[in-house]
Amino acid sequence: MKAKKRIDFEKMFYAVCAIACFFLFWWFITAYTPAGETTPGPIEVIRLLIDSFFEPIGNYVITGHLLVSLRRVLVGFFVATILGIILGIGMGTSKWAEAIFKPVFELLRPIPPIAWISLVILFFGIGEISKYILCGIGAFTNVTLNAYTGARNVDQELVGCARMLGTSERAIFFRVVLPSCTPQIFAGMQVALSTSWMAVLAAEMVGAQEGCGWMIQRGSDTLNITLVMVGMIVIGAVGMLLAAIMRVIERRLCSWNVMDN
Amino acid sequence: MNEYAKQKRKEKIKFGIVSVFSLCVFFTIWYVCTAVLHLKPDYILPSPVQVVEALIGKLTNTAPDGATLFGHIAASLKVALSGYLLGALVGVPLGIAMAWFRRVDMFVTPLFDLIRPVPTIAWIPLMILWFGIGLGAKSAIIFVSAFVPCVINSYSGIKQTKSVHLWVAQTFGASRKEMLFTVAIPTALPLIFTGLRISLGTAWMTLCAAEMLASNKGLGYMVQINRSLARADLIVVAMLTIGLIGTLFTVGLNALERRFVRGGRRG
Repeated sequence: MKAKKRIDFEKMFYAVCAIACFFLFWWFITAYTPAGETTPGPIEVIRLLIDSFFEPIGNYVITGHLLVSLRRVLVGFFVATILGIILGIGMGTSKWAEAIFKPVFELLRPIPPIAWISLVILFFGIGEISKYILCGIGAFTNVTLNAYTGARNVDQELVGCARMLGTSERAIFFRVVLPSCTPQIFAGMQVALSTSWMAVLAAEMVGAQEGCGWMIQRGSDTLNITLVMVGMIVIGAVGMLLAAIMRVIERRLCSWNVMDN
Repeated sequence: MNEYAKQKRKEKIKFGIVSVFSLCVFFTIWYVCTAVLHLKPDYILPSPVQVVEALIGKLTNTAPDGATLFGHIAASLKVALSGYLLGALVGVPLGIAMAWFRRVDMFVTPLFDLIRPVPTIAWIPLMILWFGIGLGAKSAIIFVSAFVPCVINSYSGIKQTKSVHLWVAQTFGASRKEMLFTVAIPTALPLIFTGLRISLGTAWMTLCAAEMLASNKGLGYMVQINRSLARADLIVVAMLTIGLIGTLFTVGLNALERRFVRGGRRG
């Protein structure tokens, strides 16, 4: 017990040291070398970060931009997740569905969501819909692929057992197949959410009037690097938060399946 | 058993035909929607025939975006591979060092966790500021995107080495260095390869983003500039090329993995 406490203390000590070193290094570089002419120091960035909660950048304060980006991500993500789960489980359980949809899916899957930006903008303009769709594309492929492999790898012995004991096909699907691919689907959703978050940034950097991606791009266009860095910090923090929330939901829903991580 | 195998083969052929048929239906619908019904103007949704024509034309013609298809591919590959190799060369050893040396772990992990959650795309403006819009900035962006999965996977690969194996090595008098190179790293190889594969995928995806925002050649640039020129057929050509090359990367790395990594999770 005591030894463990000491290790924890040591860990904390090193972590604090590392982060302190990082900020000192950053501060030193920007304050005492020519790099400071283009790159802002930590103090300016933190000051702007605090200010940005009260003073609007463009049309909104920073929380407004965040909410706009989050809405785009979540709408795209939810719709795509539902469609992806249906298609993935369909392909994994029915050979007909697999034969019909898999070739088209495999044709389109390797195209990264970011490469769709141009086509989607031509189709739907630069409004909200095209952002939802881009986030959706990012999420859809990941969820579908994971639901598909999950449904294919269902233990056939379990399915056989249930069938032998006289379970109806519907009950087999809801009581055996669906629960056993849930962890895999969640793994896919976890990746999908971060891909969506990245896709929304790209979409906003290419064409938008608000949102986190727009904020960075605006900073870059007006050579306001402090703004870029503030944007990066906020984006990183929200990305981390989203991942943490997903993990909590996963632990609640899949508590019977304590995975080894 | 023979009867079973025969039935299995028959089924395979049947579903193979269904698959081919489904692809045909996909292209037919696309063709009917565009060339016959003209649901959308050509500059927004080209017909498959136009796409193929654009593809053939693009093999030799540099108009309207300044390079042939091969020129764009070469430019993209140069950026992607230089950034990726650099990321792998730094990321894999760093991951191994973090997992093997406790002090390195305690010092570097907090920094790594600080930087990791920022999506690579968000680095683009900063990299452009530091390195200009040439090869340097794009390679640096790819570097960031390739570096992260390499570190994470090498780290967890080394961490999953069984302590029993290390103890055995120790009992037989292996030095720390021998233990690392003969026990820990071989154990980690399958995961390291997974990391290399994932990071090649993310690198390729990030490349499109980097080229869309700043560049004058490359596949991502081709997607972006042809939107302004309203040449949707060339956008589709570029998208399919990006997808195809991405697939080739995955297939290539899988083959390498099967050849060099023994005892991996897949047979």
